[in-house]
Amino acid sequence: MISPLAVFLVLLWGAIAGLDLVSVPQGLLARPLVAATVAGLICGNGAGGLLAGMVLELYALDVLPIGASRYPDFSVAAVAGGVAAAFAPDQLAVGMAGLVGLPMASLGGWTLQKLRRRNAVSVHRRLERVAAGDARAIWELQRNGMLRDALRSVVLASVGLVFALLVSRLPWGDRPHSVLVSWAVLAGGITGAFGGALRSAGRGARRRWLAVGLAMGIIVVLVR
Amino acid sequence: MKPRSEALLRLFAVQASYTYERMLGIGVGHASAPLLRDVLSSRSARAKHEAVARSADFFNSHPYLAGVAVGAEVKAEEDGVSGEVITRLRRALSGPLGALGDQLVWAGWVPALIGIALAAASWVGIWAIPFVVVLHNVLRYRVMSWGLDLGLREGLGVGAALHRSWLPRVAEDAQRVAAFAIGLAVPIVAWHVLAHASRSDAEITIALGALGVTFSLFPATRTRVTGLRYGLALLAACMVVVWGTK
Repeated sequence: MISPLAVFLVLLWGAIAGLDLVSVPQGLLARPLVAATVAGLICGNGAGGLLAGMVLELYALDVLPIGASRYPDFSVAAVAGGVAAAFAPDQLAVGMAGLVGLPMASLGGWTLQKLRRRNAVSVHRRLERVAAGDARAIWELQRNGMLRDALRSVVLASVGLVFALLVSRLPWGDRPHSVLVSWAVLAGGITGAFGGALRSAGRGARRRWLAVGLAMGIIVVLVR
Repeated sequence: MKPRSEALLRLFAVQASYTYERMLGIGVGHASAPLLRDVLSSRSARAKHEAVARSADFFNSHPYLAGVAVGAEVKAEEDGVSGEVITRLRRALSGPLGALGDQLVWAGWVPALIGIALAAASWVGIWAIPFVVVLHNVLRYRVMSWGLDLGLREGLGVGAALHRSWLPRVAEDAQRVAAFAIGLAVPIVAWHVLAHASRSDAEITIALGALGVTFSLFPATRTRVTGLRYGLALLAACMVVVWGTK
């Protein structure tokens, strides 16, 4: 069971991670590796959270938040994924993180678009004051944007927390092949990180650097 | 608080009211306000309001480099440059600041640091995380601070100064380091996760990953197959196998 204090801390951490993605301060707290590990620590299983973060991070490496592009939000999703992994048996930690984190990332991306449209409505309401150079109106827009994003993140974290707790209560141990879920999530992550890196590397020096890194990674694994 | 420090602090929240219409415009206006208040203190109220309104107009760039535009615009306002020229300066800076910032940060140092942290986490555990978070934020602060000062010093000449600076070269190098770090991290993370898997499970996972990478590169499917979509499809298939069979 999760304690009331842990629920409060998970929601608070969800709000911080969600805000960090775009609004403030963009300090790497929204990255799945960070968000899921801290969520796991809050739930008393830092190792499970780290494992969830490592795999969800592979997916996030496929995302380039460039300009007005629409992208999934892995910040709060990773918090929920970290909670799910923290309550799962070791072999299922990655699977539970993906089962909760991947749909939550899609949902989070959709809420980001809604947030930006709501921000635009807020700007339109103060358009005359902004056009007149009213610094107070600009501050109100900034403050309201942050509050709106914090609310979005808390709601998303609440949904993710409930989802994570429901998924972790399913009788996975009774099901044959349940570990397949973990392998599926990892395979998707490999596709995300490596496919994304190959696509963005083009055909020049960066592809060679990617190949050298991959070769070194394989050597490290074989030596271990 | 000094106007420069206040502007720098506000740049941390430059995307707080991001919209598809104005993009970072409102955030840039908010960050510019303390500096404009300072440099235009002797001007008329109308001139100040016009400068504030201009500063909150449409603007797009990488958030970490928005300070370059903030500084350049404030310097141009201080120098009494016409509003039309300042608006043109903002538009001209949007493209280069966006492209250079995306290359340096989103495609460069962030994936580089994350790749290194992923590889290191297999050995040092969660201690890899505070290291990269601190390093990222130190780098980010230094870049933001440098950008704001560059803009404040160069004003209208900031575009040329930007191209003469270290930024384009380091952005290219950062992307190479990122490619290396991701290449290094993927097999190490896979090995870490598959540590207790049977040989056949590990082989199937690697094969499915390789198939996904092929899909994501194949011309007919590359725009449709992302890691997230492929992962969700595999998960759906697994759920059918796990819960649909006895």
